[in-house]
Amino acid sequence: MTRWERSVPVYGVPVLNRGFWVLLLAVIVGLVLSGFREVLGLGGNISGMSDPYAWGLWKSFNVMVLTGLGSGGFAVGIAAWIFNRERLHQVMRVALLTSFLAYSTGLIMLGIDVGRPWNFYWILCPWKWNLASPLLEVAVCITFYACVPLLLENLPPLFEYFIYEYPKWRGAAESCEKALAKVYPFVIGLAYILPIMHQSSLGALMLLGGDRVNALWQTPFLPLLYVWAAAFLGYNCVVLCLLLSKLAWKRELDIEVLAELNKITCWVIFAWTAFRFLDILIRGKILLALTPSFFSGLFWVETILILGPAFVLYSEKGKNIQTMFLAHFWCALGGMIYRFSPTTLAFRPRNGAYYFPSAIEFLVCIGFIALAVLVYIVAVKKLAILPGTNADWLKMAKYEEQVKPGIQLTGYAPVEH
Amino acid sequence: MAMTRREAFTNLAKGTLPVLAAGCVSTILPEVAHAEEAPMPKGALGLLYDATKCVGCKSCMVACNQANDLKPDTRTDGLHQAPPALNSFTKNIIKLYRTADGSDHSYFKQQCMHCADPGCMEACMFGGLRKDKETGIVWWQGSMCVGCRYCEIACPFHIPAFTWDGFNPKITKCELCRERLGKGLQPGCTTVCPTNAVIYGRREDLLAEAKRRVAASPGRYFENKVYGESDGGGTQVLYLSRVAFDKLGLPELGEESIPERLKFQHKIYKWLAIPIALYAGMVFFANKNIKEHAHHLVEDQKKTGLRPQL
Repeated sequence: MTRWERSVPVYGVPVLNRGFWVLLLAVIVGLVLSGFREVLGLGGNISGMSDPYAWGLWKSFNVMVLTGLGSGGFAVGIAAWIFNRERLHQVMRVALLTSFLAYSTGLIMLGIDVGRPWNFYWILCPWKWNLASPLLEVAVCITFYACVPLLLENLPPLFEYFIYEYPKWRGAAESCEKALAKVYPFVIGLAYILPIMHQSSLGALMLLGGDRVNALWQTPFLPLLYVWAAAFLGYNCVVLCLLLSKLAWKRELDIEVLAELNKITCWVIFAWTAFRFLDILIRGKILLALTPSFFSGLFWVETILILGPAFVLYSEKGKNIQTMFLAHFWCALGGMIYRFSPTTLAFRPRNGAYYFPSAIEFLVCIGFIALAVLVYIVAVKKLAILPGTNADWLKMAKYEEQVKPGIQLTGYAPVEH
Repeated sequence: MAMTRREAFTNLAKGTLPVLAAGCVSTILPEVAHAEEAPMPKGALGLLYDATKCVGCKSCMVACNQANDLKPDTRTDGLHQAPPALNSFTKNIIKLYRTADGSDHSYFKQQCMHCADPGCMEACMFGGLRKDKETGIVWWQGSMCVGCRYCEIACPFHIPAFTWDGFNPKITKCELCRERLGKGLQPGCTTVCPTNAVIYGRREDLLAEAKRRVAASPGRYFENKVYGESDGGGTQVLYLSRVAFDKLGLPELGEESIPERLKFQHKIYKWLAIPIALYAGMVFFANKNIKEHAHHLVEDQKKTGLRPQL
């Protein structure tokens, strides 16, 4: 049985393969179209948004949903660093990279979506902030999180890259690494409090929408349910990335770590579902879920997609890799629909108003997802992100030292941290 | 790993220093918590619209566009100024409510309600929407607006309208012709109304007038009520109507203002105390666990000879 011991880059695979070019094409299409949007505005044929449906796919999917999916960095991190689950440190680098990519592309999308982005510089002037606005909280917190703690947390693999590949930079990179290790507790404290704040504020955004959001979703506890859903979505995303690495690059899996991740995912989901039902019961809206309508259908699709896989993961069947993959996939889909509903699917601003994203909205949305996937794939090939064993590292070192003479991947003097 | 008392104190100090620093920052920042109550401004100005008097001539729409230098929106049929809803060309609109069988109908006017405690202002990130301290007029300040359109989601009356075309969009909404008021003129819509269905004045006087009308003909008005007196925390534009208000696009809001929907949030964030306490707690545990982790890493390195990874 494999036991993950350290992160090892994917080696011996070309970076510039067919997948790379396909993704790059999607990225270029997305960038070009977002350029058109900047010149022509948001109306007409550019987007399907209108005054009643003022928020479209870019905000409600790329920001609301994908940052939820990218919450692995804080959800797994809290388990690893705060609750001291030692083995989960092995998957932290995957979690942090997915978080960083989801957040940074989400931020860019936010900049493309807003109509007057040049006024964003006020974010640098705290005395101009309207601290009562949940959107300000989201904007400030996401920007700060992505640019400071999350970025710092993602630096160690980069430092290592310089240490191994560029002997000239080794000294500098090592001292940077040491400095980072010193402030690390303060960095990760920020890296957990900020997502808790802005992920819940993402839910608080829709509180101002009042009864435009269907009563099955609209609750004073929407902020709590949102950050909670982000927690299990983060786990879903990390496990899916790990399982896909086996499919794509034949990486070996550590069943013990996966089982621990599954267990946490299950309990987070059980508690979340119980809380959600309790909330609906106490607010007296349960009949809405039991009378057939679009909304009750949507509600049960969410519930079954999230809760069903959690039961499968909890049972013995969940140990099977294929079942595990499917369970996390459907669960992530359910969670994504939940995060998407209050702003779009369960949002009814006024009679007769209608929203369906335009082709350009879809293509830009896909373009930025492709950008995140592209960077992820290049990063795992160049940097030590995906977990592996010490033996893998030695094999990789042998291979790399043959291909690139002069680099040294083993035999380092002990470093004091 | 056991912790000595000295270590525990150091950890505690490390945990509390940022708390103190952040606490100081949060006290000097203005308006950390939203003002608990937003009273009606003393010199609050407004409109009183009596739907029973309106004949639906739409003169006020034309006057509004002229007063605000807005191009008439003739996009519906290329001839008449008949926009389907408030939009970037239309700050004021007359609509018709009619039952399916045509047995009952009423006109209604839509423009900004100038809430005492506006939802749009609460939503706005940098104060792109402002409320005049004296007159209570809610107006849009382009230099502070990022065009996020959150105001459109927060406004219960569907008032703010976004310019969907072009690279320099604006938020269009009724500002009670505040520039005309400065010149001693009245809001455009009130200058042309042939039946005086919409009148302009101080909110206090308008409310008294509305109540006088209700008292003079009891049963004429829906629920003998002045919409806006306390609805949504009170608005500076007041409505009288024969048909139910929700048929005229005036939602049932109760006395709670829109920003009060966030009161629980504001309590959690008050003085940033809870986030800071959580942060301190997490730094404390992270600091403890990181030492243990580093210890494991060094042990591993001794065994394998490979460079430890943070």
